[in-house]
This record gives sequence, C-alpha cells and structure tokens, in this order.
Amino acid sequence: MANKLSIIIFSGTVDKLLSAGVLSQAGAAMGNEVNVFVTFWGLLSFTKGEKKMIMPKEFENMGPALMEGMKREHVKSWYEMLQEAKEMGAKIYACSMACGVMNIKREDLDPIVDDMVGAAKFLADSEGGQVLFI
Amino acid sequence: MTDVKLIDSRGAACPGPITDLARAYRNSKVGDMLELWATDKGVKADTEAWAKKTGNEIVEIKEEPDKIIVKIKILKR
Repeated sequence: MANKLSIIIFSGTVDKLLSAGVLSQAGAAMGNEVNVFVTFWGLLSFTKGEKKMIMPKEFENMGPALMEGMKREHVKSWYEMLQEAKEMGAKIYACSMACGVMNIKREDLDPIVDDMVGAAKFLADSEGGQVLFI
Repeated sequence: MTDVKLIDSRGAACPGPITDLARAYRNSKVGDMLELWATDKGVKADTEAWAKKTGNEIVEIKEEPDKIIVKIKILKR
C-alpha cells in the first residue's frame, strides 16, 4: 500500500501556499496518497475567483523579487501544483468549521476543493502517515 | 520488447521533473527504460529517492554541461 502524506494548510500567505503546493505535488509523484486539509487563513485562497497573492508582513518588500525569481526559474504557481497533485490522485478538503466561521459556503469554494469535511475525517485519513502543518 | 522513453524536463523546476517521471511511469511496463533529461539540480537525489520508494532501478546518472540524464529501468508496476 502507498504511504500517506497529509498536509494541513492553515496559513494564507503565498510563500506557505507555495511550500504546500510543492510538497503535495512531490508527494503525489512519489506515489503517496496525498490529502490536503485547508483551514482558517488558508481558506481565503480556496474560494472561487482570482487568487490574492498575500505576502507575509515581514517579507512584504521581497514580493516582487520572489515573483521574478519564480518566473525566471519556471516555478509553477501553488495552484497549478495542487492541480498536478490532484491529477495524480491527491484530495483537497476544506474544514467545515472554519468555513462556517468565515461564512464560506460549499458553493463558494474553488472547484479544486473535493469536499467540505470535519476534523474527524482528516484525522482518520491521516492516521499512520506523515502529517505536515503549514 | 523494451521501450526506451525519453522524458524531457529541461527547464522545469522541482517538483516538475519527478512529476514528469511519475507520469511516464504510469504509462510504462516492466522492463521499460525511462530516460529523464533535467536541468533542476535536485533531480539526482530526487530520482534516487523515487526509485527506492517505487522499487525501480537507476541504471545511470550522467551529468552533462547542459543537463543531467537519469536512466531508469522499470522493475515494478
């Protein structure tokens, strides 16, 4: 049986979303079962419509250089990386409680999200595998 | 019959090459040879880790001035 990689995306800044994207895609390419659980600030980037590029406050002035470097190195966007991961079988779930708190309805979620689930489902899915909190 | 499949991942950043390899692996059969071309410096360690995890064999890793070539034999599907 394949190993499991579970990633909790808690942060909403683009640097951390990028890390989550890289590890999801790499995890799926390595043949792992990959589950991504999006909660709190992460959810701000998982609603329908254009994705905001939020930089962390302390590195805000490095935003343009980061974007330029990504373009130069042909690094894909975190969203494209998650799409690649999904294409290899990864699943993306939104935390139902956080969606409630932030007034995000099922139909507001980006189509990349497979379902809205609770913490118990995530814990059951991640049991026995690697878990990353980003 | 052994197929040799060329995967050209030159220019793609991590985790692009390993993803291209995983895709080609999906369409391969036991005995096939995959030849991955990449410019990402992580590709050597990444393909070694991938081969170990998936139970396949790295036959050769060749570093050329403009690219890294990794030859993989598919032993397991």
